[in-house]
Amino acid sequence: MAICTGCSLLCEDIEAALKDGALSHVKNLCRKGHGHFQAAFTERTLPMIDGQQVSLDRAIAKAAEILRNAKSPLLYGWSNCTLEAQATGIKLAEKLGATIDDTSSFCQGILMERILSGKIPSCTLDDVRNFADTAIFWGSDPSSSHPRHLSRFSYYPRGEKRQKSYEEERTCIVVDVRRSATARLCSNYYFRLEPGGDAQFLEAILAVLEGKIPKVGDKKKMIELSSLLKKTEWGVIFPGLGMVYSLKEKMELFEKLVAKLNEITAFKVVPMVGHYNMRGFNELMREKTGFINRVSFKGNAQGGAPAHGPEHSVVAAAKTCDAALVIGSDPLSSLPFGTARALARLPLIAIDPRRSLTTDAAKVVIPSTLSGMEAGGTAVRMDGVKIKFEPIIDTKLLSDEQILSRIMEAI
Amino acid sequence: MVGAMEIYMLLPKTNCRKCGLPTCMAFAVGLLGREKKIDECTPLIEEKKYEAKLKKLREVMAPIENASETGLIIHPEKCFGCGNCVVACPVNVAAEPTRCALGLGPQSEKVILKVEDGVVVANNLKECRRFGPNKTLCNACTVTCPSKAIEFV
Amino acid sequence: MAEVVAVTIVTVRDIFHDEAGRKSRFSEEYKNLSAQIILDKQDMARLGAKDRQKLLVKNDVGSVVVAAKTSEDDAHPGLAFMYNSPWSNQLVSDVVCESSIPGFKSIKATLSVAEQNDVTKISELQARMQ
Repeated sequence: MAICTGCSLLCEDIEAALKDGALSHVKNLCRKGHGHFQAAFTERTLPMIDGQQVSLDRAIAKAAEILRNAKSPLLYGWSNCTLEAQATGIKLAEKLGATIDDTSSFCQGILMERILSGKIPSCTLDDVRNFADTAIFWGSDPSSSHPRHLSRFSYYPRGEKRQKSYEEERTCIVVDVRRSATARLCSNYYFRLEPGGDAQFLEAILAVLEGKIPKVGDKKKMIELSSLLKKTEWGVIFPGLGMVYSLKEKMELFEKLVAKLNEITAFKVVPMVGHYNMRGFNELMREKTGFINRVSFKGNAQGGAPAHGPEHSVVAAAKTCDAALVIGSDPLSSLPFGTARALARLPLIAIDPRRSLTTDAAKVVIPSTLSGMEAGGTAVRMDGVKIKFEPIIDTKLLSDEQILSRIMEAI
Repeated sequence: MVGAMEIYMLLPKTNCRKCGLPTCMAFAVGLLGREKKIDECTPLIEEKKYEAKLKKLREVMAPIENASETGLIIHPEKCFGCGNCVVACPVNVAAEPTRCALGLGPQSEKVILKVEDGVVVANNLKECRRFGPNKTLCNACTVTCPSKAIEFV
Repeated sequence: MAEVVAVTIVTVRDIFHDEAGRKSRFSEEYKNLSAQIILDKQDMARLGAKDRQKLLVKNDVGSVVVAAKTSEDDAHPGLAFMYNSPWSNQLVSDVVCESSIPGFKSIKATLSVAEQNDVTKISELQARMQ
């Protein structure tokens, strides 16, 4: 059985058959996971310096040289790395006095922080399958982003207290700015918002739960929602980027709603993390520094504490750092143009199994293994469950962890 | 899914009765219900003036003709591989109470829906509840599909 | 028929776009799925645009040429959707507020029918970053 590291569901029931260095047959992978597995066989990177192919040793040596000489290096990526690689990366950041940040910085960070600190109660996906009778997808579209979410955990499977499942014992609610694929499956309880209207909608739910007239939303539908929430035995909310980006600094409003719901019954929150081990990085960082991301170890050499703040986020640091290492991520594709350009103009080191906009622009490219297929390790699922996995493909490529250790030795 | 009117527009519309039915509209309905075959409309096959219509008719009828006896059609190019149908299907659930019933991928050959190479494939359709003398109008797989990749004729 | 239409663009997920991006950032398929903007039919009519017509999407961060696509959703005039990609990111500002989260889901831009016959190529987007 193989594991899929295509998203943070970390499906473990994958059966993959390989033939002549290609995928011949796979079972149980969703379309997204299938794309992820197929990617192992095309556009693989080679060790490069300034667009010329070199030996792996030279590329690693050059990377170490760039980082050693940098006054304020940035180490970014991490959410597609195993815990073991992330731990090595954090040690490297400390040694260099570097800034370290991951994708949570512009993704689920502000929600993850509250879940890891316990401010917002959470649970496992297995709990959801076994107990949840009400699930709310708020600003998330799992059918598109985590395709097996509804069939493995949140809507269709049977569970300990949910033997009659979606037909009689589970209701899913979708709150979104558009009729997403998931919204089409939950059309009885689909609430359409204006972009940025999440705070208002939260207030409306709070109002209707207290028997007051909500200021927005169809009154009849809101009252139905209130009844459903009040009859819930065990609820769960899955906030996606739609909600997180809309609320931003107003997360306390969401905390307030969750607290109110918990007066009725158990209501948990599980963040819809995208990359397979973003949560792992946040947990490791929190354990080490007290912060989940955006940390600078600059004061480390003088025995100072790690610093944290928006100036150490990748978006800000791209403009202030003088060298960057990007691992398992393609910020030149996924970040705003100004940030992408700032990174592209730096001495950039890219550690990646595959060609991307970031590897194309990098001064040094170091090829690595695809974790889950070619390298084993441990990862943390979106709900905090740790999953250990072994590779299914043999390769001579080095793993992220091995590459980072070699860079650290060379510094 | 193509409708009777669309099919009618591709027929000669002469009501010549060579197919055994009184009108071309009746033949269109018969084609849709798979009680009639395209080749039974001899003018359409034999007369050159209908060449383009015949070609288009064969194209639109292809998915219907390929549908199974239960009338199940899968459009793999639309499929998300989400497994909702695999987990909702009552035959799958009965066959694999410790796997499909609980959201996991199947392991036996008794299941009728499974996800292979990223999309759903059907198998063993004679076990489907819509088949046979005691057939029911089970629609678990179609109502749980986020992309209309599975439908019934 | 208006020449310039103002919209708010929200970037969203799509499984086919994601699959294409995983297979290659440099393919025709990824370009076709990324370089498109999903518009309400009222906005399409105001622009005088048809499906697949090339549109210039512009704001004070940058501009990009993408193909128009009519939305199949309930009416949403003034609201447009794109998939997060190097194309949509041409329009997202890196000047951020305290939370340091860029406005991926609140991109204000104007649309007009483009003179170009093709959408912006990825090599062009790469060149802009040099």
